Amino acid sequence: MDHARHVFRIVLLVAIILAVVLLARGFLVPKSYGLYGRYRGASVAEQMNLRPPMHAGAAACADCHEDQAKKRTAGAHKNVSCEICHGPLGAHVKADGSVVKPPIDRSFTLCARCHRKIEGRPAKFPQVVLDQHVNGPVEGKVCLQCHDPHSPKP
Amino acid sequence: MSDCHDGCNGSRREFLSGTLKLAGGAVVTVIGGAALASSGGSDGAEASHPGGGEYDWNEHLWAYLVDTTKCIGCGSCVRACKAENEVPDGFFRTWIERYVVGMNDSHVDSPSGGMDGFPPVQVGFAATKSFFVPKICNHCRATPCTQVCPVGASYRTKDGAVLVDSDSCIGCGYCVQACPYGSRFIHPATHTASKCTWCYHRITKGLKPACVTVCPTQARQFGDLKKEGDPVRGTIEHERVQILQGHLLTEPQCYYTNLDKEVR
Amino acid sequence: MPEISGFAFPNDIHVTWSLMIVMYPYITGFVAGSFIVTSLYHLFGRQEFKPVARLAMATSFAFLLVASLPLQLHLGQPQRGPYVIITPNFTSAMAGFGILYSFYMLVLVLELWFVWRQEIIDRARRSRGFKRTFYATLALGTYDTSPEAVEIDHKAIMILAGIGLPAACMLHGYVGFIFGAIKANPWWSTPLMPVIFLLSAAVSGIALLIIIYQVFAKLDRRPVVATCVQALASWLWFFLILTITLEELELIVMAYEKSESWLIISELLTTRLSFSYVTMQMIVGGLIPFILLAVVVLMNRYLHEKVRNTLATVAAFLTLIQVFAMRWNIVIGGQLLSKSLRGLRSPYEPEIFGREGVLMAIALFVAPFVILWIFDRVLGIEEPEGGADHPPAAPTAGQAAAGHAP
Repeated sequence: MDHARHVFRIVLLVAIILAVVLLARGFLVPKSYGLYGRYRGASVAEQMNLRPPMHAGAAACADCHEDQAKKRTAGAHKNVSCEICHGPLGAHVKADGSVVKPPIDRSFTLCARCHRKIEGRPAKFPQVVLDQHVNGPVEGKVCLQCHDPHSPKP
Repeated sequence: MSDCHDGCNGSRREFLSGTLKLAGGAVVTVIGGAALASSGGSDGAEASHPGGGEYDWNEHLWAYLVDTTKCIGCGSCVRACKAENEVPDGFFRTWIERYVVGMNDSHVDSPSGGMDGFPPVQVGFAATKSFFVPKICNHCRATPCTQVCPVGASYRTKDGAVLVDSDSCIGCGYCVQACPYGSRFIHPATHTASKCTWCYHRITKGLKPACVTVCPTQARQFGDLKKEGDPVRGTIEHERVQILQGHLLTEPQCYYTNLDKEVR
Repeated sequence: MPEISGFAFPNDIHVTWSLMIVMYPYITGFVAGSFIVTSLYHLFGRQEFKPVARLAMATSFAFLLVASLPLQLHLGQPQRGPYVIITPNFTSAMAGFGILYSFYMLVLVLELWFVWRQEIIDRARRSRGFKRTFYATLALGTYDTSPEAVEIDHKAIMILAGIGLPAACMLHGYVGFIFGAIKANPWWSTPLMPVIFLLSAAVSGIALLIIIYQVFAKLDRRPVVATCVQALASWLWFFLILTITLEELELIVMAYEKSESWLIISELLTTRLSFSYVTMQMIVGGLIPFILLAVVVLMNRYLHEKVRNTLATVAAFLTLIQVFAMRWNIVIGGQLLSKSLRGLRSPYEPEIFGREGVLMAIALFVAPFVILWIFDRVLGIEEPEGGADHPPAAPTAGQAAAGHAP
């Protein structure tokens, strides 16, 4: 095989390139890769702590706002989370404990999102046909003038 | 009776802790840096589960349940999801679809994913029924999205959530194509894949996903299949439940009750 | 914002896979297609392809160098591209592609080296200074062109061509697999997809060679070998018939089955894709070249050589359009239909400038020709007069000045 020298050389070259690639790969694989499966294991903990929860639920609101909470849980809106109308608690009480005044949405559109009669809503759910409301068409009027959002009555 | 499955036996725990010690440095750093780890985050190297805190992913298996007859289409869930997860405008981790169905025709809409509720709609046929269907990532057990990820940036956790590692994602978009439910998108700012995580940062701290927390009618429920007496588990175990696009055999872990034939 | 007819899932209105993902199978197709041509000569001893054998191999190489670029350009995080090799997830068709691509690259470069080795050594002997160092390095320092060494070269070429052909076919079949294995998308999800991609790769490769062979011959002032163009045209006709038949069969089966997706797919083809599918892919790029090539093949005896070459060239151009339209209709078309199967989004218009724009796509298509030109400058694509490159014939012992480099 005296004349196969060039073949040996090119095979050697390929072997060297492969070795370099494999070696480089060894250095470049992220540390926690493969810990739990074929992914970067550290990512799971990162996802757990991605950001502080924004929404805390009605129980957390009751810590400070006991009166409203009691009123709400006694009424028809007992399942309506405070944060639907007042925004997430995380925007109201910041991580450092400072308190920001939450937006209070008193708009007609907020109420209409749930209570305007449209196609799709379950029939049993309380809905208003705007044109047939007791005091005439109500579009744009502020519902809260007559209805208390914390304990609404029909 | 124990709810503990294979993850709890000794040999596996030892094996995992051994591996963890090897690669422990990185994990501990991450945990140490996480200010919100609920407790004992610094002792990660001893744990058989990521995070090393009180939350052990071996003890949970999450599932989602939607009762379509309860949804009123208010869109609170979609808004809460946006606020909770900083979802970019025009993209959705959850959305609501409205179906207006007649005997021979149907109409479906989802303006802004239902975020601002739904307007009245006129359809050109005699509608006989109409209903809302909330949608999220199905966190499929045999999910095609993690199957096609070329770099292992998408994975399913032991407690059943399908997540994206945005630090490894190369942004090829293959998972977006592979998801039959349209649950994934490429985030316009990070240029990596993004999707519903079942609020993994909440459920690992004992909270429910934001969409479930704010739902005023309990149309959306979230439960633990490894917990005795869990109502969601009870429904899935004993009631007739449906899944979306069952013929694709992705084994969705988002179950529905009272789903209509029109819904895909 | 794109307009939607019907209902699309709200995240389904974005065309995530842009023009670059159209270019990617288009360019990869030339790699496989031209390698098939070179194999017809090197492996199967079809002498009529001798004039294009080396050109085809160089073309395959030039396009291969560019083939992964559109993918890279498309990535949201291009700097993380190497993760496909570093932490491959083997259940992913795309990760497999990374490895297959590297493997084929290796095989092709080795085969090129063995085929061009004598040329490299010749040039090393003839040149001085830096150029000599360059060619000597390319030759890996051994100048052995003895008949025994040349015989070894031929064996190596045969073996590499034998590995290369299935590798090239796999490489492109795999591109089809990337689409065909997506069960979420009914317009993609068919086992026919890899086959169609492979056949249309052969179409595009042969068509391209018909054109560049004649262009190169004109530039070099060599005569165009009529039998070669004739043979290329026949094979083009053959592969075009296969491709179009399968493309149509796929639709016919879907329509006849009345599959759940047929309603939306038929709407897609007749509205959003009516120009690119019906007009371009089926008529301009399918029917017309089919007729032209039928004339070239069936009426061969009655045609003047110039007429025949012109007809073949026109047909080749049209089939290149056909293949591009097919890539476009698959990649873009598949994203216009929502997975809700209830809606289509408005047609996608690629940006002009920018990383994934039209200009970039044109640059990507032109780049292989620049590479070919450089290749011709550095190594010479056509073999020098009296050179020996032929598996079927016996090696000529003409090159006496064999020896070893210091």
